[in-house]
Amino acid sequence: MPLIVNPDELARKRIFLILATPGNIRQRNIDLIKEVSDLGYHTVVITTNFPYSILTKLYGEQGVNLSKVSFIDAVTRNSIGSAKEIPGIVRFINNPANLTDLGIAVTEILKERSEEKVCILFDSISTLLIYLSSPNISKFIHFVTNKLRLMDISGIFLATEKGLDPMLMNQLTTFVDTVIDTG
Amino acid sequence: MTTTNREEPGCIEAGILENALVMITVMEKSGKILVWNQAAENITGYSKEEVIGKTTIWKKLYPKKEYRDTVTQQIATILTGKKYFENFETIITTRSGASRIILWNTKESTHKSGPIIVTAGQDITRLRELDAFRDSVIENANVLITVMESGGTIAVWNKAAEEITGYSRAEVIGSRDIWKNLYPDPEYRRTLTRQITGIISTKSYFANFETRIRTKTGESRVISWNTRQIGEDSQQFAIAIGRDITEQKKAEEALLAYMTEMAMRIKQPVGIIRDNLLDITHLIHDRKLSLDEIAMLLDAQVRNAAQIATNVQEFQKAILEKNSEIPEAYRKFLEG
Repeated sequence: MPLIVNPDELARKRIFLILATPGNIRQRNIDLIKEVSDLGYHTVVITTNFPYSILTKLYGEQGVNLSKVSFIDAVTRNSIGSAKEIPGIVRFINNPANLTDLGIAVTEILKERSEEKVCILFDSISTLLIYLSSPNISKFIHFVTNKLRLMDISGIFLATEKGLDPMLMNQLTTFVDTVIDTG
Repeated sequence: MTTTNREEPGCIEAGILENALVMITVMEKSGKILVWNQAAENITGYSKEEVIGKTTIWKKLYPKKEYRDTVTQQIATILTGKKYFENFETIITTRSGASRIILWNTKESTHKSGPIIVTAGQDITRLRELDAFRDSVIENANVLITVMESGGTIAVWNKAAEEITGYSRAEVIGSRDIWKNLYPDPEYRRTLTRQITGIISTKSYFANFETRIRTKTGESRVISWNTRQIGEDSQQFAIAIGRDITEQKKAEEALLAYMTEMAMRIKQPVGIIRDNLLDITHLIHDRKLSLDEIAMLLDAQVRNAAQIATNVQEFQKAILEKNSEIPEAYRKFLEG
């Protein structure tokens, strides 16, 4: 199966926007993690849709090396109220709309792993639309992409295709280096 | 029995003079009236009998001393340079007390009794009223109205034009530089000129042509232009009426933005919930989830759905705030 992201571009710390159909987006998430892990990267998954506990189960079944993955989970605490953080594996955010906490978690986790080859996987921009207006999403993605560039880290943002209005899509395109529509 | 020979030149002149539609008077230099035609009687209300052979008519036509002195002074000034005056405008008071605007033209002549002055007075009151009405309409219209001579020189620039652009009449009339000021970007100006030339080449006017002007204060405004050619072949003018549609455009853009945002933040999230539920169904079917995990996943979808309902409510509120014209029944529904 052909790779979704170009390893050379990933090595050059490029930032990607990966578009997928709603039916394919979960599988794209798994395919990307496997791809990035195989290239020797540690992936930090920011999940705003499925909780960490379910994702680890799905990843495990699909043969993802879980020691190469850690999570920022913005779902679990929003659903069950509390969840205990596991250092180096998962951090919880109370609500996907809490961008301040999300920003802090991203900054801290990147600092913790500053000696490693790290790639951020944001799943997904589309889910954020439930909780945030497009201008706020745009500001947040701008903040995160700036942070990645400053820290020289590659990043992948997932979104469902045709789900973003032309203005938001236009803005996101200017923040990332490469847009890939995987269908 | 006396017969009048109609072929006699003097009779023909007298007939013309008597039946002319403009008031014609002949007077001596002293102001004594020798001739007072029918139109003069009709316009002023004073008959020949009251006027001829006397100088008193002028005091009657200009009863206010101050105004009479002004007119006298103006006539004296004109007559120092030449022996006649042309298109000299005064306001007379008629016998009934009404005011009429008269446009005077005079010519000095010589009669066997000595020098005489032939005066033609055209009643232009109605014309002036129409002018004033037209000026008032132009002046008080809440759209930008400008009239351009051929070559683009501005002849008329109304109050709305001043308010919308920030440029006063004094800065604009008699010049054609205003277009450079309103369209300072040479590239945009060239594009507009090209478009306008294209439209004018197929028809002599344009309708609802939108441009973006820069006002004197540097503000950007959207104007919708309508033009017409007016005047005779020898003197062509173009009248341009510009409606400031900046606010309307903003409202349209805001509405489009609202609708797009709403579509994006409802259609997309509902699709996400649907796909999540589908995934959950498969996971349950494959017995990959514990009861706690199922509960957590379903709870997350409930929260997502609740958030979408809140978003819709916020959009409804925003629409209500932006649009005061919404009928009461719809307002209540949207508030609910």
